[in-house]
Amino acid sequence: MTRLATQDLIINVPGRSAGTALNLTIEPGQVWGVLGTNGAGKTTLLHTLAGLNAPRSGQVCLGNKPLSQLRRRQVAQQLGLVFQERLDGFPATVLETALIGRHPYLSLWQMEGADDYARAEAALEALDVAHLRHRLVSTLSGGERQRVAMATVLTQAPNIWLADEPTNHLDLHHQSAVMALMAEQAAQGSAVMMCLHDLNLAARWCDHILLLYPSGEACWGPRDTMLVPSALERLYRQRLATVEVDGAPVFVPIQAPLTDHE
Amino acid sequence: MFTLANKTHGLIRGALGLAFSLITLGVQAHDHSRCAVDDRDREVCLHNAANRIATLSPGATELTYAAGAGDQVVAVVSYSDYPPEAQDVASVGSHTRIDLEALVGLAPDLVIGWVTGNPAEQMETLEALGMPVFYIEPRSVEAVADTIERLARLAGTEPTGRQAASEFRDGMAALTARYSERDPVPTFYQVWDEPLMGVSDEHLIGQVVQLCGGDNVFGDQHRLVPRLDDEAVLAANPEAIIAGGMGEENRDWLTHWEQYPNLAAVAADNLYFVPPSLIQRPTPRLMEGAQILCEKLEQARQKRGAS
Amino acid sequence: MVARLWQPLGLLALIAVAAMLFSLAVGSAQLSAAQLWAVVQGQGDALARTMVIELRLPRALSAFAVGGLLAVAGALMQVLLRNPLADPYVLGLSGGASIGALAAMLAGVGGVLISGSAFLGALFSTFLVFGLAHGSGGWTPSRLLLTGVVVAAGWGAVITLMLALSPAERLPGMLYWLMGDLSYARTPWPPLLLLIATCVLLIPLGRSLNVLARGPQQAAALGVDVRPLEWGIYIAASLLTAAAVTTAGSIGFVGLVVPHMLRLLLGNDQRLILPACALAGGTLLVLADTLARTMIAPEQLPVGVITALLGVPTFLFLLYRSR
Repeated sequence: MTRLATQDLIINVPGRSAGTALNLTIEPGQVWGVLGTNGAGKTTLLHTLAGLNAPRSGQVCLGNKPLSQLRRRQVAQQLGLVFQERLDGFPATVLETALIGRHPYLSLWQMEGADDYARAEAALEALDVAHLRHRLVSTLSGGERQRVAMATVLTQAPNIWLADEPTNHLDLHHQSAVMALMAEQAAQGSAVMMCLHDLNLAARWCDHILLLYPSGEACWGPRDTMLVPSALERLYRQRLATVEVDGAPVFVPIQAPLTDHE
Repeated sequence: MFTLANKTHGLIRGALGLAFSLITLGVQAHDHSRCAVDDRDREVCLHNAANRIATLSPGATELTYAAGAGDQVVAVVSYSDYPPEAQDVASVGSHTRIDLEALVGLAPDLVIGWVTGNPAEQMETLEALGMPVFYIEPRSVEAVADTIERLARLAGTEPTGRQAASEFRDGMAALTARYSERDPVPTFYQVWDEPLMGVSDEHLIGQVVQLCGGDNVFGDQHRLVPRLDDEAVLAANPEAIIAGGMGEENRDWLTHWEQYPNLAAVAADNLYFVPPSLIQRPTPRLMEGAQILCEKLEQARQKRGAS
Repeated sequence: MVARLWQPLGLLALIAVAAMLFSLAVGSAQLSAAQLWAVVQGQGDALARTMVIELRLPRALSAFAVGGLLAVAGALMQVLLRNPLADPYVLGLSGGASIGALAAMLAGVGGVLISGSAFLGALFSTFLVFGLAHGSGGWTPSRLLLTGVVVAAGWGAVITLMLALSPAERLPGMLYWLMGDLSYARTPWPPLLLLIATCVLLIPLGRSLNVLARGPQQAAALGVDVRPLEWGIYIAASLLTAAAVTTAGSIGFVGLVVPHMLRLLLGNDQRLILPACALAGGTLLVLADTLARTMIAPEQLPVGVITALLGVPTFLFLLYRSR
C-alpha cells in the first residue's frame, strides 16, 4: 500500500502569486475531502497530485519517490483520477470505456484478456451500470456517465484514488453508493482524496479535510477539527446552521448576515 | 503486310508485330546502320528501319509524315490533326498523359517522344520496357529540317525526308533573303490571350518574326513565353500585332486591341491574324505561316509609305 | 477477442485482393480470360505479360500503397485532434509536401530528391502548424485545426504562384500531378514497404491511441506519455503523406472519407481501424485508378478527380445520415 505525500507544494493557479505550502500525507485507509469555493484550485490540486499539472514549487511523492521521477505508466498503476469533465472523442461503448482502465497493466502487444473483461464487468456491476454495457457513452445521462467514469477508475484498481466531485450529476441514492464505494476502497487499504461541494457528504464519509481558500491559503487536519461552523462560514462566506443527526453534524445554509470571526 | 495489319484492331496485331520484330532482330542483329542522335543527345540505333512508329506529340506526328514515314505510324496522341490521314491512326491518349497500355499493345518499334512535353516518368517506364525512344524538340528553323532528316533516317525513308528538309530549308532561306534586311517593324506576336502571352527571340515564332524583318518588342524577355499585360504592350507600342487565336479564323484576340486607338498598331491598322496551326508547330507548315507573317509585316511597311 | 479484429480485417483483405485482381484484368487493352490465366501461370505471350506484370501490377500496387498511406495518415490525424474533419489534406501536410515536390520538380531534380523534398515540406508544415497552434498557451484541437486550415490555404497560394511562374510546357504535367495521378508512379515498393512497416509499428500503439482519443489528460492519467506520442503521430503522418504525395501527387478525400466510413462500420478501436484503413484506403484507390485509366481510354483521367467524385457524395451522405 502506498501513501501520497507533498513537500512544500504550492499549486500553480493562474493569477495567484502566493499560497500556503502544502505538506500533506495521505495514508492508506484515509479518506480526504477537499472543500473550497469555485476557483479555489481544487481541480488544480488533484491534477497536480496526479502529476498532470506541474507545481509552482515543491513536489509530490508517491511512496518514497518524487512523482516527476516515475514513468506515467508506473504512476497509473498506483494512482487513479476521476475527472470532473470528460471529452467525448469518438463514440465508444460503456464496456470499452471501462476497459481502458486496464491500459496501464497491459504490454504493447497484449490484448485485453478474460481477466481484464471480468474486472471491467465487476466494476460496471459495482456502479450499477452493467446493464448499459453496450450503449454508447455519448447517449447516457450525466449521472450514468459519471458512474461509468468511476467504473473506469475502479477497473484501473489504483491504491490512490483522486476523485474530482465524484457525486456530480448523481441522484441521492447513487451519491451514497459512490461514497460508500470510496469508503470501501479506503477500508481495503487505498488512500482516497476527493473534491466535494456537499459539506454533509464530507462530514459523513471523510476522515480528513483540506480547506482551500480563494487566496491560496489552506488548512487541513482530521475532520472534527476542520468541520467547525466558524471555519466553514469563513470559507464559503455563508452563514450555516448546524444540527446533529445520528451523532454526525449536518450543515444547513441560512439567510443571515455574516458575523466577522476574525 | 503490316500496313494491311494496321487496319485490323485488337491485340493480335500487336503480338504479331512484336513477334515480327523479334524475328527480324534475330536475323539481322548485325545490322546497326540506322543510328541518329536525338534532342537529348542520346544516340538511338535500330537494327532495322522503324516499321511501327508511335508519335507522342502532334508536332512529331506531322514531322514523321513529312519525313515520308506516314504509312509506318501506328500510334498518335490527341490533336494529331495534320496531315488529315493521321486522324485515322489509333490514339494513345494525350501527350501529357499517355495510355501506356494502349501504346505497348500497339507494339511500336520506335517511339518519337517530346523532350519537355511528355511526362518523364512515363517515358522512363517505356524505356525500361526496352522500347527505343527518340526524343525531339526542334527549336529552330534548321532544327526542323534536321529533325525531318533524322526521322527519315530511322524510318528508312531518306529520299523523301531529304527532299522535304531541303524544300523547307530553301523556302525559309528565300524568305530570309527577301525580308530579313528590310526596315524593322516593331512587332508583338500574341500566343495567348488569357493570360496574355508573347514570345521571346529564342522562341521559334520569335525567330520567324526576325527573319521577316520584324523587331519583336518582347524579344529580350528572359522567359521563352513571357506572360504580359495590356500595359506592357501599350508601353512597348508595337507597330504591328500578330495573333493566332482559338480556331483558324477567329480574330477576337485582335479586336481586343481596338480599344486603344493610340497604340501604333491600331492607329496604323496593323492587327493581323495568322492561323496558329501554321506557325505554332515546329513543322514544315511553318514555311507557309512564315510566308503569311512576312507578307503581313510587309503590308505594315507599305502603310508607312502611304501615310 | 482476437477474432473480433481478424474477422473484419480478413474480409477487407479479401476485398482488397479482389480489387487488385480486377485492376490487373481490366485496362485499355482487352486481354481475354485465357490470356490472363496464362500470365498467372507464368506463361502467355510476351505482350500480355508486359501489360499485366510490368504495367498494371506496379501501378495497382502503387495505388494500393498510396490509398493505404493516406487513409492511415488521416486516421492518425483524427485521433490526434479528436476531430473527424482532420486529414493531411485539410491540415496543410499535403500542401507542404506538394510544395516540396513541386520545388524539386522545378529545380529539375528527380527521383529520391523529390521524395526527400516532399518530406521536408510536409515536416516543415507540421512544425509550422504545431508551433503556431501552440503559441503561448497549450494547444487545443480546434486551434490546431484552424491553424492547419489557414496554413493549407497559404500553401494553396504558394502552389498557384509556382504554377504562374513555371514554364508553360511544364504546366500540364504539374497540374495533373496536383490533381493526383498514378501514371507517375514508377516502383511501388517504397510506399508499399512504408505502409506495411507503419501498420506493424502502429498495432502495438493502438491501445495508447484509443486512450489518447479520450483526451490528453485522460490518457496521461492512464499512463500514456502524451507529448512524445502526439509528436510521433504527427511526424508519422507527415512521412506517410510525403510518401503518398511523391508517388501520386496530392489526392484528397481518401484520408477523410475512409477512416470515417470505417468508424461508422467497425467502431473506434484503433487497433482495428488503422489496419482496416490501410486495406480499405488501398482498395478504394485501386478501384478509383482502374476507373481513371479505363473510363475514357485512351485518354487518362487523374485519379484524384475520381476519388473526389466518389468521396464527396459518400461523405455528404454519411454526414447527413449520422445526424
